[in-house]
Amino acid sequence: MQELDQWKEQISHLLNVANDHIREIPTDQLYAAAAIAVFTTLLLLLLRFFKRSKPNTIVLTGLSGSGKTVLFYQLRDGSTHQGTVTSMEPNEDTFILHGETTKKGKIKPVHIVDVPGHSRLRPKLDEYLPQAAGTVFVVDALDFLPNCRAASEYLYDLLTKGSVVRKKIPLLILCNKTDKVTAHTKEFICRQLEKEIDKLRVSRSAVSDADVTNEFTLGVPGEPFSFKQCSNTVITADASGLTGEISQLEEFIRQHVKP
Amino acid sequence: MLEQLLIFTRGGLILWSCKELGNALKGSPIDTLIRSCLLEERSGAASYNYDAPGASYSLKWIFHNDLGLVFVAVYQRILHLLYVEDLLAAVKREFSQVYDPSRMVYRDFDEVFKQLKIEAEARAEDLKKSNPVVVNGNRKSQVTWKGDGSEGKKNGAGGGGGGGLKNDGDGKNGIKSESDRFVVANGNSANGNNNNGSNLKSNGGNVSVNDKDNDSLNNGAFDVNRLQKKVRNKGGNGKKTDSVVSKAEPKKLVKKNRVWDEKPKETKLDFTDKVDVDRDADLDRKVDYLAKEQGESMMDKDEILSSDSEDEEEDGDDAGKNSNKPDAKKKGWFSSMFQSIAGKANLEKSDLEPALKALKDRLMTKNVAEEIAEKLCESVAASLEGKKLASFTRISSTVHTAMEEALVRILTPRRSIDILRDVHAAKEQRKPYVVVFVGVNGVGKSTNLAKVAYWLQQHNVNVMMAACDTFRSGAVEQLRTHARRLQIPIFEKGYEKDPAIVAKEAIQEASRNGSDVVLVDTAGRMQDNEPLMRALSKLIYLNNPDLVLFVGEALVGNDAVDQLSKFNQKLADLASSPTPRLIDGILLTKFDTIDDKVGAALSMVYISGAPVMFVGCGQSYTDLKKLNVKSIVKTLLK
Ligand SMILES: Nc1nc2c(ncn2[C@@H]2O[C@H](COP(=O)(O)OP(=O)(O)OP(=O)(O)O)[C@@H](O)[C@H]2O)c(=O)[nH]1
Ligand SMILES: [Mg+2]
Repeated sequence: MQELDQWKEQISHLLNVANDHIREIPTDQLYAAAAIAVFTTLLLLLLRFFKRSKPNTIVLTGLSGSGKTVLFYQLRDGSTHQGTVTSMEPNEDTFILHGETTKKGKIKPVHIVDVPGHSRLRPKLDEYLPQAAGTVFVVDALDFLPNCRAASEYLYDLLTKGSVVRKKIPLLILCNKTDKVTAHTKEFICRQLEKEIDKLRVSRSAVSDADVTNEFTLGVPGEPFSFKQCSNTVITADASGLTGEISQLEEFIRQHVKP
Repeated sequence: MLEQLLIFTRGGLILWSCKELGNALKGSPIDTLIRSCLLEERSGAASYNYDAPGASYSLKWIFHNDLGLVFVAVYQRILHLLYVEDLLAAVKREFSQVYDPSRMVYRDFDEVFKQLKIEAEARAEDLKKSNPVVVNGNRKSQVTWKGDGSEGKKNGAGGGGGGGLKNDGDGKNGIKSESDRFVVANGNSANGNNNNGSNLKSNGGNVSVNDKDNDSLNNGAFDVNRLQKKVRNKGGNGKKTDSVVSKAEPKKLVKKNRVWDEKPKETKLDFTDKVDVDRDADLDRKVDYLAKEQGESMMDKDEILSSDSEDEEEDGDDAGKNSNKPDAKKKGWFSSMFQSIAGKANLEKSDLEPALKALKDRLMTKNVAEEIAEKLCESVAASLEGKKLASFTRISSTVHTAMEEALVRILTPRRSIDILRDVHAAKEQRKPYVVVFVGVNGVGKSTNLAKVAYWLQQHNVNVMMAACDTFRSGAVEQLRTHARRLQIPIFEKGYEKDPAIVAKEAIQEASRNGSDVVLVDTAGRMQDNEPLMRALSKLIYLNNPDLVLFVGEALVGNDAVDQLSKFNQKLADLASSPTPRLIDGILLTKFDTIDDKVGAALSMVYISGAPVMFVGCGQSYTDLKKLNVKSIVKTLLK
């Protein structure tokens, strides 16, 4: 208790000294200082506000091995370098798309995040979705059928996430690896995914009795599910990360992050 | 021959690979390593074995956490390359000097690597020539104790001098078959000791000399203590497993160390020794498990086994330690304040140790099995070591965050746990979906089977129960009561029959009468009961169920590991097929009775790799839930 009293005394003393000092300073200088302080805080707040209101993040998701990391480096450097291995951490960077580097004028950079597809790392997605201007769900069109159910489940979880539904974050289903002739078409993949999600709708809504992981339900009850029923826009496109045919992906990005 | 050496970012971009080695790897060992070892919080292990048709590789890795780089070496397992770790460390050292995050191509590193490889090979050759055991000692102490290469070498050399003559050159051969099996069971690596007597001598010798070395290197009492225990446990262990080994030998070692440590309390020595013997059964079980499942490191085993006695000891000489404790604390507070503002250069293992220790204790108070807590801490340490601490953060909070992420990762199911979806899929194929409930006695298998039946029934699934507990009297009647209450058909054949046959008939009956799901109740059995485990293995093999659900009590602590690992192990061992079925999922019972001691969930998931599919949390049929990962993690770290 004694210590506390001592502290108090000291503080009040210091306050007095400070007060004296302030009195010595001319008032107009004081006003100027106060004005500057207010101005800077306002500016900072404004900056933050602007940053919030115009997200420039595009999130790449999809199962492990679908080719997200390859796409990420294609977008950034226009090259796959020496190849990739399974990601253990997200890749993220803010850059001007490689395809646009030759363009003249000022271009707004894009913040691209590649979230690893390993199921243990999926919770990371929740960190990035709230700031997302758009999400890309990459599907391996080559090895699609064995992974169809897993992909649908991931996609279902994505489409029912509160952050996606509430903000109506647009989604691009990107069928990757179309450089190979055996790759499935995007129409086929889309149909298969819809079918699978339709089944998930039944079983998932049942599971959520026990727990509430999925905050929202999908589609219209009583009708077969189709991506058109989603509150956010869902479109499909083709790409090949390996050969660098990613124009449709770039188009999607620029549609939602204006240059 | 080294097959490949790869440098890549944690993000997954390959920065450099050895073009000269260049031969294409069979299968995808690197991706498998990442998926089933590094991302499963098992990166504290020493190596990882990968088998593909026509190739069996060993992989070793090293992290540079600050730069976010991973270095992986792949080599043929039969070759026991001795210089790999040395080489990896050298590559890490050299590469981190030229690394620049904005640079993607490092072709000029080819030359450097060539040089490093030649040097490393030469060093290994030298060591081998001077004394074969030395190399081994060096290797071991590096894996188990030292991050620092040079120090490890010193210890190793000493170990060689004092070491025994009997060493099979690697210490791995003995458990070869078992480590292989482990790869099947858990996808983890196996590289460790064979706990037999012949190794005991050389290890013992090695360790005892290590002690001295450590002392001269001013390495602190902590390590020394642990090493001592290592010796002692080895003693107890050796006695048990191999009666040929003279009992005098380990004892002599222990005594010598004791004296050297200047705490010659004879009584205590006796005490701990006795404890070892008393706990033989328990020890043996643990050792067994460890050697077989986590072949990875003898260090783990020793540490785990030792920590009980360590605690005892700490109680003993508390007085001595207390005198300098407050001092250390004060200093710690001050410097940590300073560090938190300045941002620390690079985290070292010693910086992390106090925070990790605290975290480990906290996990253990939440009923997490001790060795799991230990492994997790190691893995977290491996992911933080060498990292830069951000300004205004404390080590403890950094460690806390890393652990939280690790826990979320572990508990997030690897596979879908949507049973209903699976049921519908099976329905489309006009096949009943078969779930087998397995577990030890009295955990509530039948009760929770009834809960699952009720839940499925609620979702318009036709359920049938199969009473395959033909072992315990009253079991069939118990199930019949549930079936009557829920108005679910039950298939029973009394007590005489072989449960495997009963299950088979039940499934046939189900396909006849159009049931969608068959829930198979089996007899509770202790994991060590060989005949019963064999019967279970047969049941599973014969009926190939869609889901093998392990029912376990949320109350269990350290025993959780033993139960699950033994179950898996026995299912693997006793299976007659080359690809045995293991446990696919876990049902945790009595979750309502444990308050915040939720550790069993973590232990079980970690050890089996299977997700918790249901949680039973009460007496009524409705008390069945899914595990909420977020809240579990929160509770664990609270
Ligand atoms: N043929 C073909 N292969 C591709 C294409 N894109 C990626 N791949 C291959 O797919 C594999 C996986 O690619 P990654 O980019 O690492 O996959 P990822 O989606 O990042 O996987 P995670 O990091 O595990 O989530 C690599 O071996 C690529 O070579 C493509 O367009 N065509
Ligand atoms: Mg990736």
